[in-house]
Amino acid sequence: MKMLEIKNLHASIEGNEILRGINLTVNAGEVHAIMGPNGAGKSTLSNILAGRSEYDITQGEVLYKGENLLDFEPEERAQRGVFLAFQYPVEIPGVSNIYLLKAALNAVRKYQGLDVLDAIDFLTLVRSKMDLVQMDEEFLHRGVNEGFSGGEKKRNEILQMALLEPALAILDETDSGLDIDALKIVSEGVNALRSEDRAIVMITHYQRLLDYIVPDFVHVLADGQIVKSGDKSLALELESKGYSWVAEVAPA
Amino acid sequence: MSRMMEFATPFSTLSTSLGQDVGWLTSLRKEASTYFKQHGLPAKKEEDWKYTSLQRLGQVVWEHTSKDSTILAADVEAVKQLDDAYHLVFIDGVYSDVYSEVASLPAGVIALPLSQSLDRVEVSTHFGQQAIIDSPGLTALNIMLVSEGAVIILDDNVAIDKPIELVFINTGNTSDLATHLHNVVVLGEGSAVDIVETHIGLTDAAYFANQITEVVLAADSYLKHYVVQQASKAAFHITHLSGKQAKNSIWQTHSVALGGKLARQDLHTQLLGEAAHCVMDGLYLPRGEQHIDNHTRVDHAVPNTTSEELYKGVLDEKGRAVFNGKVVVHQDAQKTDAKQQNANLLLSRRCEIDTKPQMEIYADDVKCAHGSTVGQLDEAQLFFLRARGLTELEARNLLTYAFVSEVIDQVTIPELRQSLTTLVEKSMPAVAATT
Repeated sequence: MKMLEIKNLHASIEGNEILRGINLTVNAGEVHAIMGPNGAGKSTLSNILAGRSEYDITQGEVLYKGENLLDFEPEERAQRGVFLAFQYPVEIPGVSNIYLLKAALNAVRKYQGLDVLDAIDFLTLVRSKMDLVQMDEEFLHRGVNEGFSGGEKKRNEILQMALLEPALAILDETDSGLDIDALKIVSEGVNALRSEDRAIVMITHYQRLLDYIVPDFVHVLADGQIVKSGDKSLALELESKGYSWVAEVAPA
Repeated sequence: MSRMMEFATPFSTLSTSLGQDVGWLTSLRKEASTYFKQHGLPAKKEEDWKYTSLQRLGQVVWEHTSKDSTILAADVEAVKQLDDAYHLVFIDGVYSDVYSEVASLPAGVIALPLSQSLDRVEVSTHFGQQAIIDSPGLTALNIMLVSEGAVIILDDNVAIDKPIELVFINTGNTSDLATHLHNVVVLGEGSAVDIVETHIGLTDAAYFANQITEVVLAADSYLKHYVVQQASKAAFHITHLSGKQAKNSIWQTHSVALGGKLARQDLHTQLLGEAAHCVMDGLYLPRGEQHIDNHTRVDHAVPNTTSEELYKGVLDEKGRAVFNGKVVVHQDAQKTDAKQQNANLLLSRRCEIDTKPQMEIYADDVKCAHGSTVGQLDEAQLFFLRARGLTELEARNLLTYAFVSEVIDQVTIPELRQSLTTLVEKSMPAVAATT
């Protein structure tokens, strides 16, 4: 089943064209990695998929489960099963983590026509998901990401993903700022969520993450286009040759 | 004074039946009346009234007698913040024997209407003494026309098992009703009590409440003082809280201002004994065409006193707010530790805040910090919440509530915290989704 189809996507911000014709198809059950140098348009792509409004889509379309994703508000995308793990998760003092988790889960369940979980069922569910990312229960009662370390913030993102069980997860530089231990925990969390019904798109600058979450496909994004696609060996080739190699093979 | 504000109401010719035979009150009234005739009410050219005009108040012919104070028992029950408390209830400025419940107060505690307490030395000693210095025009008017009030007196070392709630209700039965109530709270050494003032208008009627609460805290006493203001949207609601604190005393005030067309609260304490401490927390949520003004002042008069202040405002639609927080550290008040913070969240382009934190420091060895902020909801936080499935409206309300929760969380009476949470959530501005 086709989960995500990006067709000839062009996008610009304040008149500068960042994406210049992206084509990508992601099927359920697949894990794709999108790699690229700084300024290639990686974050722009993830932001557009999640629904940030400051970009102008000048050409092309994005289909999610066959529907036009760009027609949906950010919350409608989330309710339909699209999840963005943020590169920089924001801190929200005054809103407890547990409140956020409950509100997010209920928003998704409501869309799915399910009843909201009662307090006990909810807590049982959250605890099982916290084990996955080795988070202490104390984090539930703190403000969202308030005073969390970089690694804790990223684990919190994966916790939200585990709880919401999205059909399409986009991980934006989830490895950035992580030490090796945190990287392992986060990767194990993501790997546990790999499934036949779920597609995962990882956006990353470094090959390191792909040692832990092995992708089915690797794409190289440069100057707003996917210039090369392959399997996991492409990532290794990139690692040894560097991004300058991509510029050489890129179509003029 | 060059030119006095003119009044549609002939205040100086009015009288009140309270304490006409009480010598000290009669002579205070004479002084007040003389002052009022000369000065009237504060005008906009006075620094403390720069952003708040009483002009429209002056144009109304205020009625000073309640014509009909009938009220349903259920209405009284509904407006109380607390079930588990002693209650003094005032309806349209008149003390209600029927709805007040003070019979079971413990020994050493007095909670009575002012009309039954004029012979008490605590009352004659403290009534009007501080307020008249702080806010002479309004206080003079209050003293001239004072008809009632609450008196709470705790003997030394008395602690009370339940809070005392003062409930001030305007029924709306008498249009343009003016009330001038005057409360006196005196805590003996080492005594402690929680007091909740509930001010509420049951209808959209216009009225004018000009109320004073004077607080005297002896050494080692502890007063937690909550003010929940839900005046009608057409009311002029003016309150003045004025305190004097002896050594080691604590006065903790938490003010939540939701109502009023024009609401003004002046809060002043003097830290007169070493290690005296005050907390001033406040919330104000003006919307529509409401104008809510909070003036606070802390005088650190002796060494080693401390104060902590946090006022937060959420303004929407054409709501206006004024915050003026003054901390005065007197010359001898070394080792003062004073913190003051005012933070404002503006939810519309048409609202306005005038904020002025002020510190006057005459001692050299002190720790003083103050600041004020004015901002909007954070776009990154909003997007994050929406990306987790919350609608824009839910996300806005959640972030707004998060902003005010810092103040609500300080409320230590669980029943009150719950009721304030509900009140604040209910008044949470319905932000239209801008898509």
